[in-house]
Amino acid sequence: MSDLETFRAETRAWLEAHCPESQRQPILKREQIWGGRNRVFPSADAQAWFEAMADRGWTAPSWPKEYGGGGLSIEEAKVLQQEMARLKCRPPLYEIGIWMFGPALLAYGNEAQKQEHIPKIVKGEIRWAQGYSEPGAGSDLASLKTKAEDMGDHFLVNGTKIWTTNAHKADWIFCLVRTDPSAPKQQGISFLLIDMASEGVSVSPIELISGESEFCQTFFDNVKVPKENLVGELNKGWDVAKELLKHERTLMSSMESMSEKEDFSLLELAQQYLSLNSEGTIEDGEIRSRIAQLLMEMEAFEQLNERMFYQYKAKQVDQRLGMLLKHIGTKQLQRKDELILEVLGNKALSWTAPTANQQEHIVTRNWAFNKSHTIAGGTSEIQLNIIAKRALGMAS
Amino acid sequence: MIFNEEQSMLKDTARAFIEENAPVDNLRKLRAAPEGPAYDLELWQQLVELGIPAVALPEEYGGLGFGFMGLAAVLGETGRNLVATPLVSSVALAASLIKLVGTEEQKSRWLPALASGELTATVAVQEGRHYNPKSIETKWANGALSGSKTMVMDAQEAGLVLVIAKNASGALCVLALNSLEDVEQERYMLMDGRKFSDLHFRDLAGVEELGEGEQVASVEQALDIATIALAAEMIGGAESLLERTVYHLNEREQFDVKLATFQALQHRCAEMYCQLELARSAVLSAFTRLDQGRNIAKAASQAKALANECYQHISNEAVQMHGGMGITDELDIGLYLKRSRVCNQLFGDANFHRKRYALQIGI
Repeated sequence: MSDLETFRAETRAWLEAHCPESQRQPILKREQIWGGRNRVFPSADAQAWFEAMADRGWTAPSWPKEYGGGGLSIEEAKVLQQEMARLKCRPPLYEIGIWMFGPALLAYGNEAQKQEHIPKIVKGEIRWAQGYSEPGAGSDLASLKTKAEDMGDHFLVNGTKIWTTNAHKADWIFCLVRTDPSAPKQQGISFLLIDMASEGVSVSPIELISGESEFCQTFFDNVKVPKENLVGELNKGWDVAKELLKHERTLMSSMESMSEKEDFSLLELAQQYLSLNSEGTIEDGEIRSRIAQLLMEMEAFEQLNERMFYQYKAKQVDQRLGMLLKHIGTKQLQRKDELILEVLGNKALSWTAPTANQQEHIVTRNWAFNKSHTIAGGTSEIQLNIIAKRALGMAS
Repeated sequence: MIFNEEQSMLKDTARAFIEENAPVDNLRKLRAAPEGPAYDLELWQQLVELGIPAVALPEEYGGLGFGFMGLAAVLGETGRNLVATPLVSSVALAASLIKLVGTEEQKSRWLPALASGELTATVAVQEGRHYNPKSIETKWANGALSGSKTMVMDAQEAGLVLVIAKNASGALCVLALNSLEDVEQERYMLMDGRKFSDLHFRDLAGVEELGEGEQVASVEQALDIATIALAAEMIGGAESLLERTVYHLNEREQFDVKLATFQALQHRCAEMYCQLELARSAVLSAFTRLDQGRNIAKAASQAKALANECYQHISNEAVQMHGGMGITDELDIGLYLKRSRVCNQLFGDANFHRKRYALQIGI
């Protein structure tokens, strides 16, 4: 047996022994475990499953062992992912620190910062938020104005960040701040870590078209931040941000698997809500054809990801392919949401009516919320600019 | 999902050879001679010498055993330059049909000759306006073959013609003809400059049946192999068109700037690239499954449906973005446009494959 097959057998046995039956059911939003000082476990089973995984560092399987990660190779991490999918194990931890911030800190942080922050992310002890966009700096992120002045022994931060996801529940926030107002745009920006409990930090949630308020505006009013919270060099924060953005875009392209939302299968909803003929196929040929079309394209997207995995393994990475993921994935997700609405008909329209069952209710809220996916993390228009210029080499 | 070292080398060899010996102009020469051969026989001989027909066949029949993925690598390259070859008709389809359906004796009789390039073969499948193997009416009963076939590729050049028919009990079967002497034929050129034939069988006797007993699944598998082979060629064509279009936009100036600087054009090119890489991933995935010995019915339909739409869309955009020159025959763009439409119909259009995919996933 190859090492990888031994690892697979051991992993399978371990998961079977440690993942309680209740943690192998589709997860509801209220049952998700997010990190943080104030984290709550929805059940004893959920806590046991989370702790078993966190102890092994498998909440961050491929991070180095010295910082509490799982220390797995990319092949082993994929095996773990496959085995978890096979048993339908729930993700043990939902956390921006795992998905985006951790990888960037591992790449750019100094030793003390990694020792301080990475283990707490793995163990789900600290919940992170992201402070990038500002009311005046969206797609043109580099025009951001929140400033951090050097006061000798600390930075003094003033300004505001918007679309700070779950900032009202976060313990820490990583921010892009202007440290040199006289330098050209990207060159005067630094990457700073701020404790949300600091004096002068306040948060105000923003109500969205989905009725939820997970996006916030965060205000910084004369906030004192220790010098050691600067990640990377002063005025070189843009490099860290770019590294982090790569992880965010990869993440957003696969929102279906990583989403904090409940996921619904278009195929199953179609079979449940549409009239079928005697052979079990959808009677209405027009909608059947559009569903098949989207499912073919979504399968191709999985195949694209698989291709990239094998390229990575063979060290033959085609960098251009990574630039496509966010745009393709988010566009497909929205097309799926639209088709689901169409399949449900007027069952998808209720907002507060008591007639709506839970599934119909969530599907509709997801549809509204997922409009954010083609905007957040770099709009689709920005993605297309990047593809045209960097992947295709079109003149600018 | 990706080419291994051998397959990548094969791809590089094929690209270098085709760039040197098979410019798109070759197709114009074939087109100028409607009665002439369907493909450049001399060029084919050179490809034979490179071992291309043997790539996917197992070593026991004189093949190289590189797997179908190796063939996909070559087909992408022929697609890029619109090179006419019997790779789809003979190497992908006829050889697979013999390998999957034929008796041991038939396999040893024909496969080594196909691998060495001594023999090329073709398969008569399509009837009527749209490809659909389920509605085949050509009949094989009481030792006689009757019916009509259309869109038969490379028939005049083939030393062996296989015909897919239905037997007395309505099951698919395959007949082998060593010659078309007693068969009524009409040969014609389509808009892509390639030659096709219609064949009419009227109680034709003396034909040999391929294999023994019910062969439906194997026949469908062979057709699926041809389907993804053609899809691989189509991806090559679409890729070349996108490159040509981006090159043109980077060269051509209007309003004192390169056309490529206009965002309206940038975004359309970026969308084309997304579509191309999705379709390519589906095609590569189908070939991977095939070489792993897995069923490819669903994968083939997914790959062909996406390749059809991709090539059609990119060829339309390429014409538009080349402006007035795009609708002249002088530019090669129009040749790709026309080829894409012929490819759409061969082995099933997007509509056919979308429905077949829907059935496979149970809706």
